[in-house]
Amino acid sequence: MSETKEEAHREYKIDEDFDKEFFKNIERKSNIWQCIQCGTCTASCESGRWTALKTRIIIRKVCLGDLSVLKDPDIWLCTTCYNCYERCPRDVRPTDVIMELRNYATKLGNISPNHRAVVGYLKNFGHAVPINDEVRQRRVELGLEELPPTAFKFKQEGDDKDLKKFEEYMFDLPPVKEEKKKEEK
Amino acid sequence: MVKEQTFAFFLGCIMPNRYPAIEKATKFVMEKLGYDLLEMERATCCPAPGVFRSFNKMDWMVAGARNLCIAEQLDADILTVCNGCFGTLQEINKHLKENEEHRELVNEKLKLLGDYEFKGTINVRHVAEVLGYEIGPWGIEDHIVRKINLKAAIHYGCHFLKPTRIREIESSEGPTIIEDFVEVLGVESVRFKDQLTCCGAGGGVKAYSGDASMTIFGEKMKNIDEVKPDIILDICPFCHLQYETGQDYLNKNKGCNYDYPVIHLSQLVAYAMGMDQEFVGLQYQMMGRDFIFGGEVIKREEEAI
Repeated sequence: MSETKEEAHREYKIDEDFDKEFFKNIERKSNIWQCIQCGTCTASCESGRWTALKTRIIIRKVCLGDLSVLKDPDIWLCTTCYNCYERCPRDVRPTDVIMELRNYATKLGNISPNHRAVVGYLKNFGHAVPINDEVRQRRVELGLEELPPTAFKFKQEGDDKDLKKFEEYMFDLPPVKEEKKKEEK
Repeated sequence: MVKEQTFAFFLGCIMPNRYPAIEKATKFVMEKLGYDLLEMERATCCPAPGVFRSFNKMDWMVAGARNLCIAEQLDADILTVCNGCFGTLQEINKHLKENEEHRELVNEKLKLLGDYEFKGTINVRHVAEVLGYEIGPWGIEDHIVRKINLKAAIHYGCHFLKPTRIREIESSEGPTIIEDFVEVLGVESVRFKDQLTCCGAGGGVKAYSGDASMTIFGEKMKNIDEVKPDIILDICPFCHLQYETGQDYLNKNKGCNYDYPVIHLSQLVAYAMGMDQEFVGLQYQMMGRDFIFGGEVIKREEEAI
């Protein structure tokens, strides 16, 4: 680990879409430079016990300005259980760091098709998990309104102004990467 | 001042759209305990802290603030029944009350969504914390008509208590709030290995990698199976979904043979307070389909407060 912080920052130029402010932002929002690589995060990680997620290494890569973390599928294996956040003796808040990384990865288009679908559900139905016919029936059997009084019910009744605004203004995702490549060719 | 003994009832997604019996049970419990529950018209997903916060934290705060504004307009604290909804709304509410810069940014974008302005006049509560601390084991005793007498594996989930510096409820390493409360209902908590670990559904992992999610969950079930509880007791519809569909998955794909009924705290309390089994919703269970609440009637419903 002989690179200085400045040398590591030079590497950012590799990806021209990348905003160099990003790692500085993470530094401002978490206490990442306090990390002593003790590994309490990895040892506490409930996902990492069974998956490839190694929180300590992710934090190290962020400290070194290693852009590969933004393409690393492992950052999406964190269940946000907050064990590392609770137990870090240096107050680094790794869960927040992973959230920032995911935000930036999303900006670069590194987002899974399943997650894109969830965003679609929110825009269409106002819910990450939309209702189905079976549950509508159960609601009636239980003496509840067939549809809960959420934005989706109003859309069904012809008043879709709320969800139209979600569609227009919320959670814009970059286009799917494969399509982008084809266009370039 | 917000209205007393009144909550804006935040439904979320999974409870109304998958487990409506939890909604029915929560209404029954809270109304019997003397609270008014107000409908939050035009509410949306909280939005979920695992997925949507990962994609765009600012939009996550704006959409969450919109839900908070609906409750502010009702002049009532929010009641949530889900750790995810609680996590999102409690965190955004607290953050925007404290951070002026973000409050201004959020309010600016809120204008695009309609007539909303975050003012910071309400609090966000979780039903487990209202029952556990506000009503308390000392307060529920007069309201119960049945002692349930069973052994439960209690699952807290993650976002009810963590991050502790934001939630400020109690320690996440050794909580007893649910154990203390359900003991009065006749429910014995059975401890099991790694009891406080995650169910494996959160953080967008269930959508991102079903395999990873089921591996984490498989270990959880193995530990629960060792102590053979009568039910699995949770306080979050997303954990509830993971336990119901996850057992089915493990049985079909991993050669397991689990059949534990999964019960939300609201359902358990509703039954103890006299709700009929059919409204508690056991007939809709995917797992433990033969299970019915037993227990003894300790007083007639008229005698309960």
